[in-house]
Amino acid sequence: MHTKEISAGKSAALIAAVLLSGAALCFAEQNETYDSQKLFNMSPEELMEVSAVSASRLPTQLQYLSAPVTIITAEDIHYSGLTSIPDILQFTPGVDVRKLDRQRTIVGVHGLFGTFSDRTLVLIDGRPAMDPIFGTTHWENLPVMMEDIERIEIVRGPAGAAWGANALNGVINIITKKPDKCSDGLISTTINEYGDSFTHLRYGQTQGKWSWKASGGYEGIEDSDAAGAGKYHSDAGAGGGGGPGDGGGTSTSDFSARDWGRYWKFDTQADYHADEQTKYSMGVSHSSGQEGDFEFTGFYPRKDILTEYTRLFARTDHQIDDDTSIYIQWFGDYWDTHCRVIADHVIYMENDLETQLSFKPADDHTASIGGNIRWNRIDTHNHSDFNENVVGNADEYWAGLFLMDRWAATDRLTLESQLRLDNYSETIADWSARFMAMYALDDKGDHILRAGFARSFRAPGLLFRNLNQQFGSGGSGVKPPTHINNENMYSLETGYNGKLSNNLQVSVDGYYQRFEGLIGPDIGSGGGSTPGDPSPPDPGGGSLGYTMFENIDGADAYGGESSLTYHCDKGKLKVWYAYNKLHTDQLYQSTRALAPATYKYGLTGQLFLDDDWVFNSNYAFQSTIKDTQADTKSYRRLDLTLSRKLAGGKGEFMIGVTDLLNDTTKPVYCPGYQTSMELPGRTFFVRLQFKF
Amino acid sequence: MSNLRKMKTYIIKILAAVIILTQAAFCNLSQAAQTKGKPAIAHASENDIKAAFLYNFIKFTEWPAGKLAEPNTITIGLLGEHPFKDAFDPVKNKPVENKQLIIKDLGRFRHSFPQNDAGNLELANYTEQLRKCHLLFISGSERDNFKAIIDTVKGYGVLTVGETSDFLDIDGIVTFVPGTEKLVFEVNQKVCEQEGLKISSKVLRLARKVIDNDKADAVNKNK
Repeated sequence: MHTKEISAGKSAALIAAVLLSGAALCFAEQNETYDSQKLFNMSPEELMEVSAVSASRLPTQLQYLSAPVTIITAEDIHYSGLTSIPDILQFTPGVDVRKLDRQRTIVGVHGLFGTFSDRTLVLIDGRPAMDPIFGTTHWENLPVMMEDIERIEIVRGPAGAAWGANALNGVINIITKKPDKCSDGLISTTINEYGDSFTHLRYGQTQGKWSWKASGGYEGIEDSDAAGAGKYHSDAGAGGGGGPGDGGGTSTSDFSARDWGRYWKFDTQADYHADEQTKYSMGVSHSSGQEGDFEFTGFYPRKDILTEYTRLFARTDHQIDDDTSIYIQWFGDYWDTHCRVIADHVIYMENDLETQLSFKPADDHTASIGGNIRWNRIDTHNHSDFNENVVGNADEYWAGLFLMDRWAATDRLTLESQLRLDNYSETIADWSARFMAMYALDDKGDHILRAGFARSFRAPGLLFRNLNQQFGSGGSGVKPPTHINNENMYSLETGYNGKLSNNLQVSVDGYYQRFEGLIGPDIGSGGGSTPGDPSPPDPGGGSLGYTMFENIDGADAYGGESSLTYHCDKGKLKVWYAYNKLHTDQLYQSTRALAPATYKYGLTGQLFLDDDWVFNSNYAFQSTIKDTQADTKSYRRLDLTLSRKLAGGKGEFMIGVTDLLNDTTKPVYCPGYQTSMELPGRTFFVRLQFKF
Repeated sequence: MSNLRKMKTYIIKILAAVIILTQAAFCNLSQAAQTKGKPAIAHASENDIKAAFLYNFIKFTEWPAGKLAEPNTITIGLLGEHPFKDAFDPVKNKPVENKQLIIKDLGRFRHSFPQNDAGNLELANYTEQLRKCHLLFISGSERDNFKAIIDTVKGYGVLTVGETSDFLDIDGIVTFVPGTEKLVFEVNQKVCEQEGLKISSKVLRLARKVIDNDKADAVNKNK
C-alpha cells in the first residue's frame, strides 16, 4: 500500500511536470522563422543532402529527424577505396562490425549481432534484404556495387514503426544512385596485394522520358591462406562441433582456410517519367556467388557454396497535388543456395506488395498511411548423403499497416508520431511505435533537441522455430520449441543536433532500452526444463542434452553516440565516440549474438590537397566484447588512401592501405560461427577508374 | 517486483506521459501555431532549395575586379517565368559577403525595341541591366532566346544559371538538371573561366558534370 502511494505520488508529480512543461512551451518565445531562412543558412553539401528517408519514410531535413541517423555519402565511399558495405559501416558510430572470414562479416547497430545478425534490418532502396530463414543479411551476395551507392542511412535505434517487424535495433538503408544520376559510363577496378579483384562497369542514359542504368561487376576474394594468414587457433569457442576437419573432426593438421569467394553481380533500373506527376520504375538485380566453406558450429563441410540471388521490383509514384503523393510497389526476393550446413539446398521466395499515401491533413501536419502484404515460400531440400536437413519448409504471410504524422506544433516544436501494426502468420500480431518531440532552441533552427519513446519487435525466423537436429548418437542436439514469441524492445531516447558554425556540426544522442523475451539457445534444457537456466553452459560439448531456442529473458541497454563534423573548402573531418552497454538479465544468458563493444570511437577525414589530389583516412576502435564462451578481442583499424585525377578528371588512380596497424586479425568467436583462423590485416591496393 | 513488472509499470508511466504531453501540446499550443506563419519544420520545396543554392553560388563565386565596380551591392537577376515567387524574401536586401543582396525580377526577355532614339536608349538600359547582374537565372520559358541572352551578357562576368538540360550547350555556365529527385547541377567550367569567374572547388565538387576548360569534354565528377 505504501509502495502504491509513493508510486501514485510520483505519477502525479510526473503528470504535473509534463503539464507545466506544456504550459511553459506554450509561453515560450515564438518568432517568425521560415524554412527558407534555414535553407539560406545551409551549405551546398547540406542542400544536396537535404533530407533522409529512413527515420520516417518521408524525406526529412537532417537536423529534424525523429531518430538518430548517420549518413555515409557516396563521396565517403568513393574516397575510402573500400570494396564492401560492412567495411565502410565500421567507421560509423554505434555500429558493431566484426569480420568472420574473408567474405562474411557480422553487423549490428548497438550490437546483438552474430552469425545470424537479425536484430538490425537491412534495406536496399527501402526494400528488405534479409533472409527469412536465418533473419540475417548475406552482405557478400547483395547485388550492389560500391560506386552505385548514393548514400547509406543508418538509423541507430528501433525503427519498427517505420519499417515493420525486425527493425529491432536499427536500420541500415542502402540507397542506390537513380538512373538519372548515372548518365555516363564508369569502369572501375581494384586489386590488392593478395590478388583480390573488384571490377565494376556501369552505363546509364537519359533519353526523353526514359532514364536507365545497368551495372555489372565481378569480385574475386582469395582465401586467408593465400592472403598471408589462415593460421588455425585451437582455442576456438567451445560448445560447437569442435575444430576443423570434414564433418567437424578435431584434427588441426589438415586444416586449410577455404574462405574464398567469387561473385558476379548485375544491377539495372529503368525509370519512365510519364508526365510531371507520374513515374514508373522497374529494376532487376542478380548475384551469382561461389564460396568456400561455411563454417558453422565447428562443422567444415569441405563443399563449395553456390548461391543465386535475384531481386526484382516495379513501382509507380504519382504526385496527386502539391501536398499529396502515393506510391505502389511490388518487389520480389529470390534466393537459391546449395550450402551443405543446415540443408543441402535452400530456396526462399519473398513477394511483397506495398503502398504509401503521403498527404497534409492540415497546414501544420504531414502524414503518411500505408501498409504491405508479404508472402514467403521457403523450401529446403536434402538430396545427398548429408543428413542434416533440419529446418523444413514453410509458407509465411505478413500484413502490416502504418500511420505516421509529423506536426509542426509551433515555430520551434515538432511532434512526430509513428504507429504500426504487423500480423505474422507464424507468431502473433504485434505493434511498433515511435513518439518523438523535436524542439529548436534558436530561431534559425541551428540547435535542435529531441526526446521520446519507441518500441519495436523482432519475429523469429524459421531457423529458430523449426531447427531440429541431432548430433550423432549421444542424445544431444537441437529441438524446435513448443512455443516461441517475438522479441521486443522499448526505448527511451534523447538527442541534440547543433550547428556551431557554418563549418562545424555536433550531435549527441543517448538511449535507454529494455529488451523482453530475447531468443537464445536454452542449452541443456532437454526439452523439459525451465527456460533460462542460470547456470553456465558446459563448454566441453559432448552430452549437453537438447538445446532449444526460446524466449529466455530480457536485457537492459544504455549508452549513446556523439560526433563532431568540420567542413571546409579543403575537406572535412569527423570524429565520433560511442558508448554502448548491454546487460542481460541472467549472468550466462545467451542471446545467440554478441553484445556491443562497449567503447567505440573513430575518425574520418578527407583532405583535398588541390583540384586533383585527395587524401582520405578512416580510423575506428572497437573494444573487447565479453562473452560467456570466449571474448572477442578489441581491434583498431586505420585505412589510408591517396587518389589523383587523370585525363582532365575523366580518370582517377588510387593507392591505399586497409588495416594498416595489424599484420593479421584474431578470430571472432561468435555464437554459431567459431571461426578458428586468423584473417589478413594490412592490405595494400590500387584502384583505377575511368568515366566515359 | 519482477523486472518485467517493473518495466511494465515504467512503460505505462511513459505512455501516460507521452499521451499527456501530446494532449497538452494540442490544447495549449495549437492556437499559437495557427497564429504563426509557415511552420519551422516543413518539407522544403525544390524551388526553395534552388533559391538557396543560387544564394550559395553568390557566396562561393569570385568575380573579376571590374565586375565589382559597385562595391556595396550584389545582384541576382531573374529572367523569364521563374518559379521563385517570394523564395528570396528572407535574404532580399540583406548583406551577403559584406554586400547588399539585390533581387531583380527582369520579366520575360525583350528581344525587340522600337527603332528610334527612345527605343535605342531603352535597349541600352535593358542590356545594361542584364550585364550588371552578378548572377542571372534564366528560366526555361526563355528557351527560344537562350542564345540571344547569352550573347548579350557574354564578356561581362555574369554567372548564368539555367534549368534545362541543354543550357550548357549554348554556353550557359550552370544548370539545374531537370527531372531529378534531388538537386543536381552541372557546370560549364570552360565558359566560367572565359568570363573571369571562379567557382569554389567546394561547389564544383558537388556538380554532377563539369565541362573541362581545355578539352571541353563532359566530366562526371559526381561520385
